[in-house]
Amino acid sequence: MDSRVYLFLALIFYAVGAVHVLVHVLTRRRLLTTLTVTSTLLGFAFHTAALSQRWTEAGHFPAVGLRDGASFLAWATVLVFLLVYVTTKVDALGLFAYPFAFVLVFVANLSPPSDRPDSVLQGLYLPVHTVLAVFGYGALFVAFTMGVLYLVQERELRSRSPQRFYYVIPSLERCDTIGGRSVILGFGFLTLAILTGFHWNMSLNGRYWTGDPKEWAALAAWAIYVVLIAARFRAGWGGRRAAWLGIAGFLIVVFTFAWATLVPGVVVAAP
Amino acid sequence: MIVVVGLSHQTAPLEVREALAFPQETMAEALARLREESGLAEAMILSTCNRVEIYGRAPESVAEPVAEFLARFHDRRLDELESHLYRLEGERAVRHAFRVAASLDSMVLGEPQILGQVKKAYEAAEEAGALGSVLNTLRNRSFAAAKRARTETAIGRNAVSVSHVAVELARKIFGDLRDRSVLLVGAGKMSEVAARQMVRDGARAAVLGGRTLERAEQLAAALGGRAAPLEALRSEMARVDVVISGTGAPGLVVHREDVEAAQAARRHRPLFLIDIAVPRDIEPEAGKVKSVFLYDLDDLRSVAEANLRERRKEAASAEAILDQEIRGFLEWRESLDVVPLLVELRSRADEIRRAEIDKARRRLGPLTPEQEKAVEAMTSGIVNKILHPPTVELKKMASNRHHTEYVGLIRKLFGL
Repeated sequence: MDSRVYLFLALIFYAVGAVHVLVHVLTRRRLLTTLTVTSTLLGFAFHTAALSQRWTEAGHFPAVGLRDGASFLAWATVLVFLLVYVTTKVDALGLFAYPFAFVLVFVANLSPPSDRPDSVLQGLYLPVHTVLAVFGYGALFVAFTMGVLYLVQERELRSRSPQRFYYVIPSLERCDTIGGRSVILGFGFLTLAILTGFHWNMSLNGRYWTGDPKEWAALAAWAIYVVLIAARFRAGWGGRRAAWLGIAGFLIVVFTFAWATLVPGVVVAAP
Repeated sequence: MIVVVGLSHQTAPLEVREALAFPQETMAEALARLREESGLAEAMILSTCNRVEIYGRAPESVAEPVAEFLARFHDRRLDELESHLYRLEGERAVRHAFRVAASLDSMVLGEPQILGQVKKAYEAAEEAGALGSVLNTLRNRSFAAAKRARTETAIGRNAVSVSHVAVELARKIFGDLRDRSVLLVGAGKMSEVAARQMVRDGARAAVLGGRTLERAEQLAAALGGRAAPLEALRSEMARVDVVISGTGAPGLVVHREDVEAAQAARRHRPLFLIDIAVPRDIEPEAGKVKSVFLYDLDDLRSVAEANLRERRKEAASAEAILDQEIRGFLEWRESLDVVPLLVELRSRADEIRRAEIDKARRRLGPLTPEQEKAVEAMTSGIVNKILHPPTVELKKMASNRHHTEYVGLIRKLFGL
């Protein structure tokens, strides 16, 4: 089958998951049920098939251009979400993970594949660099989500008259811990992705730093995370401020990713 | 027919409920008299502070004699009680029994004690020999339904009492309470209940005494913690995560400056302040200090109300679960009725008769119309003659107290 068919099937199953989570948060039942998890796993299986099929079709690692980039990022996000859900059982994560994965796969479904035979795309740099990057994004996305959940839960607690989110979001402590761990993990991946990006630059242009705006953006995101992690460990910055930094860092990362995939011609060294 | 006669917090004020209560020690006598005077084949009496109800089964409608018994037993006139009493029969009685066990009819929706009280009531009836197969099945099915409702919905999940709300909020802030510390300022009853729960969850406790340290020391010993004088407030507060203040002091005990000092020392980790004193102990401004969550008694009540609203929303899903379970019970009941049994018995016999005719026909080859008629008449005759006496007997039994046991037995014997 064509990779387009697989990707479309993946979209359908993610849509089921997304709708289910949203309906459940409105009707206040448990957020994730067997149905949600099953449809996620099915969607993920089709998504994996779509990626491997696309790899054969394109003749290079499928992470170039909006279609493949969005699809691959969504794939990694779902994988990271599943891993975090299995280890922590925090189902409120699904409130963000499902819509995010759905939108990415939806965009991927609508965009045409950009097939440009290019020697730049051969070799190991593309797969290694992008795999590191998307797992970094996935982990940082979790940190972002936990940051938002933290702030919402804090607001609920301060309101003294809790609404629905009070009941579905885990404790502040838990949001903070999971967010903190995700930041460290994501930061590790991001650092490696940036380093391989520089290396890739070197092998192509003979320079580590080309002065491209996305390099600056990547560095800015990286710096924010350095501050965040340092503040956490040295000054005991947790809670609210860490939540905000986790959100800000991820927004900059999203900007970098969008830049790297949307601006034509810049495929290289996207962190 | 299953019958429920009684009154509850919804229909009767406390003094009426008290007057009609059945104390534990009179239960056996009451059950014996009840069955004798009202013609109940099976009976159970549920008597708690929120309800007095008689559950029973009889061959025919007996709500009236049961109501009369309830009045007579307590030397009351029935017409005095009339406005408080409900009489439920058949499906409505069954539904009521299920809803009571599942705590959907409780004053505090979803409170867990009722199931234990119902359990005790059934046990007392069992000991008095008043329980038969129908009420026993009602017990099993309604308990299973209650447990399902409790695990599959959040009907009993969120705290609705002030001290439990305090504990639940602490969990929402700190997650696990293991290795957290709670400081009690003053040694009131409500703080003690909350602190006990936190200690059970793994928290450490410390108690600050007011004028006398003695009471604080006693409470600290009970909680496995230590006691200190009130002057140590600032230094103690810097070491804990939760403060529960409930002194009887007329003025403020914990000021904003105290909290600021403590927070600076704690590097602004979250601090949960609970003020259950009236008048208040903690300066309201203290809640504005960074990473501090301050709840006073009204705030806790407002959370309790929100939780109760949440439970009410869950009640709808719980009712849906009960609907399923009630349907199952009613189907079982129906299978014990005489009429459907007779119908099934007859159609089963007829099925066998036809199958045997077909078999014989294959061996005998084609029969003439006369032979066909004779075989038909003969086999029908055998079936009718065999089924006649049990049919008559079962119809007579329909009004008997124990017909359900016989119906069950016959079903078993004939594999129906």
